[in-house]
Amino acid sequence: MGNFILPFLLIALFVYAAIKKIRIYDGFIEGIKDALKLVYSIFPYLAAIFIMVGLFRLSGLSAFLTKILEKPLALFGIPSELTELILLRPFSGNGSILLLEDIYAKYAADSYIARAASVVVGSSDTAFYIAAVYFAESKIIKLRYAVPAALAANFIGCVSACLLCRVL
Amino acid sequence: MNALFLIITVVSLAVLTVAAPDSVLGIMIDGGKGALDLALKMTAIYSVWLAVLKIVEKTGLDKKITSLFDPVVNFIYKDENKTAKSFISMNMTANLLGMGGAATPLGIKAVNSMNRGADALSATTNMIMFFVINATSLQFIPATVIALRAAAGSVSPSDILIPNIIASTASAGAGFLIVRIVSGIQKKKNNTELKIQEIKKII
Repeated sequence: MGNFILPFLLIALFVYAAIKKIRIYDGFIEGIKDALKLVYSIFPYLAAIFIMVGLFRLSGLSAFLTKILEKPLALFGIPSELTELILLRPFSGNGSILLLEDIYAKYAADSYIARAASVVVGSSDTAFYIAAVYFAESKIIKLRYAVPAALAANFIGCVSACLLCRVL
Repeated sequence: MNALFLIITVVSLAVLTVAAPDSVLGIMIDGGKGALDLALKMTAIYSVWLAVLKIVEKTGLDKKITSLFDPVVNFIYKDENKTAKSFISMNMTANLLGMGGAATPLGIKAVNSMNRGADALSATTNMIMFFVINATSLQFIPATVIALRAAAGSVSPSDILIPNIIASTASAGAGFLIVRIVSGIQKKKNNTELKIQEIKKII
């Protein structure tokens, strides 16, 4: 059922546009030009973050920080198996998906750890990446308290995820 | 961001210099390659969604979506211009429909068209609010995660849906409150500073 929604919406849109005498092909060209410009302005930020995350993970620094953070995070009810995931989540979408798959393989997909990890990933987003991408084109460089606020909010999401999966 | 970047790269590089100096350049180039792969994927996804968006704009449907979300948007974002509000509404629509690929370009356009503050390079409270709400994920149905769980052999992969919706709401709500509180405190601070300056002038 859900599979039909998107094609149906697109057909409805294009037919509606055609009735309104809008040139769809020209519209596509304009939109794709926008897309190229957008990616062009985002790319430097993207590459810088990817290089930083690569160094962070492969140097073992992220594993080391995970060890340090395990105990304080346990005070908030976060199991130590999820520490690395929560640490990496704000930096790297791909990285956290890989970690999530590792957790599924290690603890079985229906275990408490796997469910909590799923909700941690599902209910949060990559704050640093979004900060870089959202503010890139507008050339805003002073983000003020934006990133700390997002990290704090996502942390509250993680804590509630670990709690909710115990009872639901 | 600059301080964070400096600390993480320098400490990581220091560790690698001791542990595996030969791997440094390879790791950094792999990072760039990862960015390039993602950029190619993004170009493909945005080409489709921004093309569709252009058609939506030309038909005037975006104005209808905007008026639908107007009460919510006006409550969250004070004194924002029409263009920005329209992109914010469409970003929300895309998020709620689970179209992450469409939500990001719309989000970038929203920030780009928002009113600037006194300092044009500084993020306004509305921009911060919009970013924080997006960074806490408005996507109530985590399609990717459910698909991954199913692939890993889960008996009921979508049983995380209810905790996920509650946790998403909790983090977005927390983000909203944090931004409101911090911006409130900063406003008060500015007001008292202004008053102090006035008093000083009088003296």
